Amino acid sequence: MSFSCRDLDDALRGQEPAALEAARAHASGCASCREALAAWDEITAEAMTLRREWPSPDLWPRIRRELEQAARQREARSGWRWSFSGRLSLAAAAALVLAPIGWLILHGPGHPSVGPTAAGRFLSEQALRDVERHEAEYVASIERLAALAEPRVQQADSPLLAGYREKLRLLDAAIATCRAQVERNRWNAHLRRELLAIYQEKQRTLQQLMEQET
Amino acid sequence: MKSVAVNLLGNTSDAEDAVQEAFLKLYRGLPAFRGGSLLSTWLYRILVNTCRDLGRRRARSPEVPEEAVDGAAAPSRERGAPAVDQTLRLTLERLLLRLDPLPRTVFVLFEIEGFKHREIALILGIPEGTSRYALFEAKKALQTAILTSRRARAET
Repeated sequence: MSFSCRDLDDALRGQEPAALEAARAHASGCASCREALAAWDEITAEAMTLRREWPSPDLWPRIRRELEQAARQREARSGWRWSFSGRLSLAAAAALVLAPIGWLILHGPGHPSVGPTAAGRFLSEQALRDVERHEAEYVASIERLAALAEPRVQQADSPLLAGYREKLRLLDAAIATCRAQVERNRWNAHLRRELLAIYQEKQRTLQQLMEQET
Repeated sequence: MKSVAVNLLGNTSDAEDAVQEAFLKLYRGLPAFRGGSLLSTWLYRILVNTCRDLGRRRARSPEVPEEAVDGAAAPSRERGAPAVDQTLRLTLERLLLRLDPLPRTVFVLFEIEGFKHREIALILGIPEGTSRYALFEAKKALQTAILTSRRARAET
Protein backbone atom coordinates (compact mmCIF):
# COMPACT_ATOMS: atom_id res chain seq x y z
CA MET A 1 0.00 0.00 0.00
CA SER A 2 1.45 3.37 -1.03
CA PHE A 3 1.01 5.99 1.65
CA SER A 4 1.39 9.71 1.08
CA CYS A 5 1.26 12.71 3.43
CA ARG A 6 -2.32 13.33 2.31
CA ASP A 7 -3.38 9.97 3.73
CA LEU A 8 -2.28 10.80 7.26
CA ASP A 9 -5.53 12.43 8.40
CA ASP A 10 -7.60 9.57 6.96
CA ALA A 11 -5.49 7.08 8.89
CA LEU A 12 -5.88 9.05 12.11
CA ARG A 13 -9.62 9.49 11.56
CA GLY A 14 -10.31 5.83 10.80
CA GLN A 15 -7.93 4.41 13.45
CA GLU A 16 -7.60 1.21 11.41
CA PRO A 17 -4.51 -0.66 12.64
CA ALA A 18 -3.23 -1.37 9.10
CA ALA A 19 -3.58 2.27 8.03
CA LEU A 20 -1.91 3.48 11.23
CA GLU A 21 0.96 1.06 10.67
CA ALA A 22 1.37 2.37 7.14
CA ALA A 23 1.28 5.94 8.48
CA ARG A 24 4.07 5.18 10.96
CA ALA A 25 6.14 3.49 8.28
CA HIS A 26 5.71 6.54 6.08
CA ALA A 27 6.50 8.93 8.96
CA SER A 28 9.85 7.27 9.56
CA GLY A 29 11.01 8.83 6.31
CA CYS A 30 8.91 12.04 6.37
CA ALA A 31 9.79 14.76 8.90
CA SER A 32 6.49 16.62 8.58
CA CYS A 33 4.33 13.53 9.15
CA ARG A 34 6.67 12.38 11.93
CA GLU A 35 6.15 15.70 13.69
CA ALA A 36 2.38 15.51 13.17
CA LEU A 37 2.19 11.94 14.46
CA ALA A 38 4.37 12.76 17.46
CA ALA A 39 2.06 15.65 18.40
CA TRP A 40 -0.95 13.35 18.00
CA ASP A 41 0.60 10.76 20.32
CA GLU A 42 1.59 13.43 22.84
CA ILE A 43 -1.99 14.68 22.98
CA THR A 44 -3.21 11.16 23.73
CA ALA A 45 -0.56 10.64 26.42
CA GLU A 46 -1.02 14.02 28.08
CA ALA A 47 -4.81 13.80 27.99
CA MET A 48 -4.70 11.02 30.58
CA THR A 49 -2.94 13.35 33.00
CA LEU A 50 -5.78 15.86 32.74
CA ARG A 51 -8.01 13.61 34.83
CA ARG A 52 -8.21 15.53 38.07
CA GLU A 53 -9.16 14.82 41.62
CA TRP A 54 -9.20 17.26 44.46
CA PRO A 55 -10.62 17.12 47.95
CA SER A 56 -14.02 18.73 48.33
CA PRO A 57 -15.10 17.87 51.86
CA ASP A 58 -18.01 20.34 51.70
CA LEU A 59 -19.45 19.17 48.41
CA TRP A 60 -21.35 16.06 49.46
CA PRO A 61 -22.82 17.66 52.63
CA ARG A 62 -23.91 20.56 50.41
CA ILE A 63 -25.55 18.20 47.93
CA ARG A 64 -27.20 16.32 50.79
CA ARG A 65 -28.63 19.53 52.24
CA GLU A 66 -29.98 20.53 48.84
CA LEU A 67 -31.49 17.07 48.33
CA GLU A 68 -33.14 17.17 51.73
CA GLN A 69 -34.55 20.59 50.98
CA ALA A 70 -35.81 19.36 47.60
CA ALA A 71 -37.41 16.37 49.33
CA ARG A 72 -39.15 18.67 51.82
CA GLN A 73 -40.43 20.86 49.00
CA ARG A 74 -41.67 17.83 47.11
CA GLU A 75 -43.42 16.60 50.22
CA ALA A 76 -45.01 20.00 50.79
CA ARG A 77 -46.20 20.10 47.17
CA SER A 78 -47.63 16.60 47.38
CA GLY A 79 -49.51 17.43 50.59
CA TRP A 80 -52.58 18.77 48.82
CA ARG A 81 -52.77 15.67 46.63
CA TRP A 82 -52.57 13.51 49.72
CA SER A 83 -55.38 15.46 51.29
CA PHE A 84 -57.69 14.56 48.41
CA SER A 85 -56.74 11.47 46.42
CA GLY A 86 -54.67 9.86 49.18
CA ARG A 87 -57.41 10.05 51.77
CA LEU A 88 -59.98 9.05 49.17
CA SER A 89 -58.09 5.87 48.28
CA LEU A 90 -57.44 5.06 51.95
CA ALA A 91 -61.14 5.60 52.62
CA ALA A 92 -62.00 3.26 49.74
CA ALA A 93 -59.58 0.61 51.04
CA ALA A 94 -60.92 1.01 54.56
CA ALA A 95 -64.47 0.67 53.24
CA LEU A 96 -63.60 -2.62 51.56
CA VAL A 97 -62.05 -3.98 54.74
CA LEU A 98 -64.79 -2.69 57.05
CA ALA A 99 -67.81 -3.55 54.90
CA PRO A 100 -67.95 -7.29 55.84
CA ILE A 101 -67.41 -6.42 59.52
CA GLY A 102 -70.18 -3.85 59.38
CA TRP A 103 -72.48 -6.34 57.68
CA LEU A 104 -71.75 -8.90 60.43
CA ILE A 105 -72.43 -6.29 63.12
CA LEU A 106 -75.76 -5.37 61.62
CA HIS A 107 -76.95 -8.76 60.32
CA GLY A 108 -74.92 -11.37 62.16
CA PRO A 109 -76.10 -13.64 64.95
CA GLY A 110 -74.84 -11.37 67.69
CA HIS A 111 -72.92 -8.12 68.22
CA PRO A 112 -69.19 -8.57 68.43
CA SER A 113 -67.53 -7.58 71.66
CA VAL A 114 -65.82 -4.57 70.10
CA GLY A 115 -67.58 -1.63 68.54
CA PRO A 116 -67.21 -0.76 64.85
CA THR A 117 -64.80 2.15 65.41
CA ALA A 118 -62.46 0.08 67.54
CA ALA A 119 -62.69 -2.81 65.05
CA GLY A 120 -61.88 -0.49 62.15
CA ARG A 121 -58.91 1.00 63.95
CA PHE A 122 -57.65 -2.45 64.87
CA LEU A 123 -57.93 -3.73 61.30
CA SER A 124 -56.26 -0.65 59.81
CA GLU A 125 -53.42 -0.88 62.30
CA GLN A 126 -53.05 -4.56 61.46
CA ALA A 127 -53.02 -3.82 57.71
CA LEU A 128 -50.35 -1.18 58.24
CA ARG A 129 -48.23 -3.60 60.27
CA ASP A 130 -48.61 -6.08 57.43
CA VAL A 131 -47.35 -3.50 54.94
CA GLU A 132 -44.45 -2.64 57.24
CA ARG A 133 -43.53 -6.30 57.67
CA HIS A 134 -43.44 -6.87 53.89
CA GLU A 135 -41.47 -3.66 53.43
CA ALA A 136 -38.92 -4.81 55.99
CA GLU A 137 -38.53 -8.15 54.21
CA TYR A 138 -38.09 -6.38 50.87
CA VAL A 139 -35.54 -3.97 52.33
CA ALA A 140 -33.63 -6.84 53.93
CA SER A 141 -33.40 -8.65 50.58
CA ILE A 142 -32.12 -5.48 48.88
CA GLU A 143 -29.55 -5.05 51.64
CA ARG A 144 -28.37 -8.62 51.03
CA LEU A 145 -28.00 -7.74 47.34
CA ALA A 146 -26.14 -4.56 48.36
CA ALA A 147 -23.74 -6.64 50.49
CA LEU A 148 -23.07 -8.90 47.49
CA ALA A 149 -22.41 -5.89 45.27
CA GLU A 150 -20.23 -4.10 47.83
CA PRO A 151 -16.86 -5.44 46.53
CA ARG A 152 -17.77 -4.23 42.99
CA VAL A 153 -18.80 -0.87 44.38
CA GLN A 154 -15.54 -0.47 46.29
CA GLN A 155 -13.43 -1.52 43.32
CA ALA A 156 -15.19 0.88 40.97
CA ASP A 157 -12.33 1.47 38.55
CA SER A 158 -14.16 2.86 35.55
CA PRO A 159 -16.20 6.03 35.21
CA LEU A 160 -19.41 4.03 34.77
CA LEU A 161 -18.81 1.97 37.91
CA ALA A 162 -17.90 5.14 39.78
CA GLY A 163 -21.17 6.54 38.49
CA TYR A 164 -23.00 3.57 39.98
CA ARG A 165 -21.27 4.17 43.30
CA GLU A 166 -22.30 7.82 43.32
CA LYS A 167 -25.82 6.90 42.30
CA LEU A 168 -26.06 4.39 45.15
CA ARG A 169 -24.90 7.09 47.58
CA LEU A 170 -27.57 9.38 46.20
CA LEU A 171 -30.24 6.70 46.53
CA ASP A 172 -29.17 5.89 50.10
CA ALA A 173 -29.40 9.59 50.97
CA ALA A 174 -32.86 9.76 49.37
CA ILE A 175 -33.92 6.60 51.26
CA ALA A 176 -32.74 8.06 54.58
CA THR A 177 -34.62 11.31 53.95
CA CYS A 178 -37.80 9.57 52.82
CA ARG A 179 -37.66 7.03 55.65
CA ALA A 180 -37.40 9.82 58.21
CA GLN A 181 -40.54 11.38 56.70
CA VAL A 182 -42.36 8.03 56.72
CA GLU A 183 -41.51 7.50 60.37
CA ARG A 184 -43.08 10.86 61.16
CA ASN A 185 -46.21 9.93 59.24
CA ARG A 186 -46.75 6.19 59.01
CA TRP A 187 -50.14 6.58 57.32
CA ASN A 188 -48.95 8.62 54.36
CA ALA A 189 -49.37 6.24 51.41
CA HIS A 190 -47.75 8.70 49.01
CA LEU A 191 -44.53 8.71 51.04
CA ARG A 192 -44.56 4.93 51.25
CA ARG A 193 -44.93 4.65 47.48
CA GLU A 194 -42.05 7.09 47.03
CA LEU A 195 -39.85 5.12 49.42
CA LEU A 196 -40.72 1.90 47.62
CA ALA A 197 -39.87 3.49 44.25
CA ILE A 198 -36.44 4.52 45.55
CA TYR A 199 -35.81 1.02 46.89
CA GLN A 200 -36.83 -0.44 43.54
CA GLU A 201 -34.39 1.91 41.83
CA LYS A 202 -31.67 0.78 44.23
CA GLN A 203 -32.47 -2.83 43.44
CA ARG A 204 -32.28 -2.17 39.67
CA THR A 205 -29.02 -0.28 40.11
CA LEU A 206 -27.46 -3.09 42.11
CA GLN A 207 -28.57 -5.61 39.51
CA GLN A 208 -27.15 -3.50 36.67
CA LEU A 209 -23.92 -3.08 38.61
CA MET A 210 -23.60 -6.84 39.11
CA GLU A 211 -24.27 -7.39 35.41
CA GLN A 212 -21.54 -4.97 34.31
CA GLU A 213 -18.60 -6.58 32.53
CA THR A 214 -15.57 -6.91 34.73
CA MET B 1 -17.83 13.51 37.84
CA LYS B 2 -15.85 16.48 39.19
CA SER B 3 -13.09 15.71 36.72
CA VAL B 4 -15.49 15.73 33.76
CA ALA B 5 -16.95 19.02 34.97
CA VAL B 6 -13.62 20.75 35.59
CA ASN B 7 -12.39 19.85 32.13
CA LEU B 8 -15.58 21.12 30.55
CA LEU B 9 -15.80 24.30 32.62
CA GLY B 10 -12.17 25.13 33.33
CA ASN B 11 -12.32 25.77 37.08
CA THR B 12 -12.99 23.76 40.21
CA SER B 13 -15.59 26.06 41.72
CA ASP B 14 -17.90 25.87 38.69
CA ALA B 15 -17.21 22.14 38.45
CA GLU B 16 -18.47 21.56 42.00
CA ASP B 17 -21.53 23.71 41.32
CA ALA B 18 -22.24 21.65 38.20
CA VAL B 19 -21.95 18.35 40.08
CA GLN B 20 -24.29 19.63 42.78
CA GLU B 21 -26.80 20.87 40.21
CA ALA B 22 -26.61 17.58 38.30
CA PHE B 23 -27.47 15.57 41.43
CA LEU B 24 -30.41 17.83 42.16
CA LYS B 25 -31.70 17.55 38.61
CA LEU B 26 -31.32 13.79 38.84
CA TYR B 27 -33.27 13.71 42.08
CA ARG B 28 -36.03 15.90 40.69
CA GLY B 29 -36.22 13.83 37.53
CA LEU B 30 -36.04 10.46 39.27
CA PRO B 31 -39.81 9.88 39.33
CA ALA B 32 -39.89 10.42 35.56
CA PHE B 33 -37.01 8.01 34.92
CA ARG B 34 -38.41 5.03 33.05
CA GLY B 35 -35.24 2.94 32.89
CA GLY B 36 -34.73 3.39 29.15
CA SER B 37 -31.02 3.79 29.87
CA LEU B 38 -28.70 3.20 32.80
CA LEU B 39 -29.19 5.79 35.48
CA SER B 40 -25.45 6.44 35.52
CA THR B 41 -25.62 7.25 31.79
CA TRP B 42 -28.48 9.58 32.54
CA LEU B 43 -26.51 11.21 35.36
CA TYR B 44 -23.55 11.90 33.06
CA ARG B 45 -25.91 13.26 30.41
CA ILE B 46 -27.40 15.62 32.99
CA LEU B 47 -23.90 16.63 34.11
CA VAL B 48 -22.73 17.39 30.56
CA ASN B 49 -25.86 19.44 29.87
CA THR B 50 -25.51 21.22 33.20
CA CYS B 51 -21.89 22.10 32.39
CA ARG B 52 -23.01 23.45 29.04
CA ASP B 53 -25.75 25.57 30.65
CA LEU B 54 -23.50 26.72 33.46
CA GLY B 55 -20.76 27.64 31.01
CA ARG B 56 -23.24 29.77 29.08
CA ARG B 57 -24.61 31.36 32.26
CA ARG B 58 -21.22 32.19 33.65
CA ALA B 59 -20.15 33.54 30.25
CA ARG B 60 -16.68 33.53 31.69
CA SER B 61 -13.81 34.00 29.32
CA PRO B 62 -12.33 30.56 28.76
CA GLU B 63 -8.99 31.99 27.69
CA VAL B 64 -7.08 31.18 30.85
CA PRO B 65 -8.46 28.75 33.41
CA GLU B 66 -7.65 29.76 36.98
CA GLU B 67 -5.65 26.59 37.61
CA ALA B 68 -3.41 27.37 34.67
CA VAL B 69 -2.28 30.55 36.34
CA ASP B 70 -2.51 29.73 39.98
CA GLY B 71 -0.49 26.62 40.61
CA ALA B 72 -1.68 26.41 44.22
CA ALA B 73 -5.27 26.05 43.08
CA ALA B 74 -4.49 23.23 40.70
CA PRO B 75 -6.13 19.94 41.67
CA SER B 76 -3.71 17.06 41.81
CA ARG B 77 -3.58 14.70 38.89
CA GLU B 78 -4.83 11.18 39.28
CA ARG B 79 -2.63 8.98 41.42
CA GLY B 80 -0.44 6.78 39.26
CA ALA B 81 -0.68 9.06 36.24
CA PRO B 82 2.58 9.42 34.36
CA ALA B 83 4.85 12.41 34.88
CA VAL B 84 3.53 15.39 33.02
CA ASP B 85 5.03 17.85 30.63
CA GLN B 86 3.55 20.87 32.45
CA THR B 87 3.87 23.16 29.43
CA LEU B 88 2.02 20.78 27.15
CA ARG B 89 -0.52 20.07 29.86
CA LEU B 90 -1.32 23.75 30.38
CA THR B 91 -1.44 24.30 26.63
CA LEU B 92 -3.87 21.42 26.29
CA GLU B 93 -6.06 22.72 29.12
CA ARG B 94 -6.20 26.13 27.51
CA LEU B 95 -6.82 24.82 23.99
CA LEU B 96 -9.45 22.38 25.21
CA LEU B 97 -11.66 25.21 26.40
CA ARG B 98 -11.51 26.79 22.96
CA LEU B 99 -12.89 23.73 21.20
CA ASP B 100 -16.50 23.53 20.09
CA PRO B 101 -18.73 21.91 22.73
CA LEU B 102 -19.22 18.51 21.08
CA PRO B 103 -15.57 17.77 20.20
CA ARG B 104 -14.52 19.07 23.61
CA THR B 105 -17.03 16.90 25.45
CA VAL B 106 -16.13 13.79 23.47
CA PHE B 107 -12.41 14.44 24.00
CA VAL B 108 -12.93 14.83 27.76
CA LEU B 109 -15.04 11.70 28.03
CA PHE B 110 -12.88 9.51 25.77
CA GLU B 111 -9.29 10.62 26.22
CA ILE B 112 -9.39 11.94 29.77
CA GLU B 113 -12.10 9.91 31.47
CA GLY B 114 -11.69 6.67 29.55
CA PHE B 115 -15.25 6.17 28.33
CA LYS B 116 -15.78 4.07 25.21
CA HIS B 117 -17.46 5.51 22.12
CA ARG B 118 -20.45 3.23 22.80
CA GLU B 119 -20.85 4.79 26.25
CA ILE B 120 -20.29 8.34 24.98
CA ALA B 121 -22.94 7.77 22.32
CA LEU B 122 -25.41 6.79 25.04
CA ILE B 123 -24.48 9.68 27.32
CA LEU B 124 -24.69 12.33 24.61
CA GLY B 125 -27.49 10.72 22.63
CA ILE B 126 -25.46 10.67 19.41
CA PRO B 127 -24.43 7.87 17.04
CA GLU B 128 -21.11 6.16 17.77
CA GLY B 129 -19.75 7.36 14.42
CA THR B 130 -20.43 10.97 15.42
CA SER B 131 -18.54 10.41 18.65
CA ARG B 132 -15.56 9.03 16.71
CA TYR B 133 -15.61 11.92 14.28
CA ALA B 134 -15.93 14.51 17.06
CA LEU B 135 -12.89 12.97 18.75
CA PHE B 136 -10.91 13.21 15.54
CA GLU B 137 -12.01 16.83 15.12
CA ALA B 138 -10.91 17.66 18.66
CA LYS B 139 -7.52 15.98 18.35
CA LYS B 140 -6.93 17.46 14.91
CA ALA B 141 -7.67 20.97 16.21
CA LEU B 142 -5.36 20.43 19.21
CA GLN B 143 -2.64 18.95 17.00
CA THR B 144 -2.82 21.87 14.56
CA ALA B 145 -2.68 24.42 17.37
CA ILE B 146 0.30 22.72 19.02
CA LEU B 147 2.22 22.35 15.75
CA THR B 148 1.51 25.95 14.76
CA SER B 149 2.69 27.18 18.13
CA ARG B 150 5.85 25.07 18.03
CA ARG B 151 6.70 26.14 14.49
CA ALA B 152 6.16 29.79 15.39
CA ARG B 153 8.45 29.39 18.40
CA ALA B 154 11.08 27.64 16.30
CA GLU B 155 11.07 30.52 13.81
CA THR B 156 11.63 33.21 16.45
